[in-house]
Amino acid sequence: MWNYEKRLQFPVHITKPCPKTASLIMSQFGGPDGELSASMRYLSQRYSMPCKEVGGLLTDIGTEELAHLEIICAIICQLTKNITAQQAKTSGFDAYYIDHTSALWPAAAAGLPFNACEFQSKGDAIADLTEDLAAEQKARTTYDNLIRIIDDPEVLAPLKFLRQREVVHFQRFGEAMEKIKEKLDAKNFYYFNPEFDKQFVKS
Amino acid sequence: MADRNTLLKKIGEISFTLDDLRLFLDTHPLDENAMKLYQQNMLQRKELLKQYADDFEPLTTDCICLESNGSQNTCTRYPGQKHWTWSDGPAPWDLAANEAAVIKGGA
Repeated sequence: MWNYEKRLQFPVHITKPCPKTASLIMSQFGGPDGELSASMRYLSQRYSMPCKEVGGLLTDIGTEELAHLEIICAIICQLTKNITAQQAKTSGFDAYYIDHTSALWPAAAAGLPFNACEFQSKGDAIADLTEDLAAEQKARTTYDNLIRIIDDPEVLAPLKFLRQREVVHFQRFGEAMEKIKEKLDAKNFYYFNPEFDKQFVKS
Repeated sequence: MADRNTLLKKIGEISFTLDDLRLFLDTHPLDENAMKLYQQNMLQRKELLKQYADDFEPLTTDCICLESNGSQNTCTRYPGQKHWTWSDGPAPWDLAANEAAVIKGGA
């Protein structure tokens, strides 16, 4: 069950529309390392996670990613507010505009639509958490790339907040991995699936 | 009465403190200092959410008050009438509506 709260986790206040910037930030909505992908990855993985605390962490981070998705959408919404067809044409927003006008539709910066193949839910705790750690780093890299080429401080403020959260989530997933390992054979963590081959898991 | 933006900023800060502490406690469930901080901030957040609902509009469904006509300071299509207040106020991503709400709230 989820409850909606009518506020953003971090405020977005962008006064200068820029459809070009919006088309780049779009990737953190529906791109390969975007917030939608992050949220669906963690919320899908938690059902089979053998350690209850780690399942709980996946729920809480997956939920926070939904709030990040909302921040990204708020940024895009404000960057494309009241743009004219001419602005869409000259700012590299025209291809997106044709299919979606100024609406939000999850896609990567290069135009590929959101795809569940961008994440995995493998049913192997070590494999899944290793993917989660990588996912946070990849998202951080994407924010780094965006922050390098965007100048508007009003756009940068929420992007910097989101980048910091990737770092914190990486830390927490690292701790979760240690927790999983406590239940495994320290001589070889990686030779079986702790979610399936339960005979090898310490009680 | 605090103005809308000041109160919303306070709620945002305290809620974020809780968001961050929650993840920390998920992996450090015995940390008493973190638990104490969580408790303090949680109580404060509840009070602020209630204050925001009284002064403006509800931010969560738990804060909806069906007994009142809604606040004088919110943007609503039904001023002074008993109505469903959950749809009062600006959408969080709507900059123009948020600015209009601040003016209406008499910042």
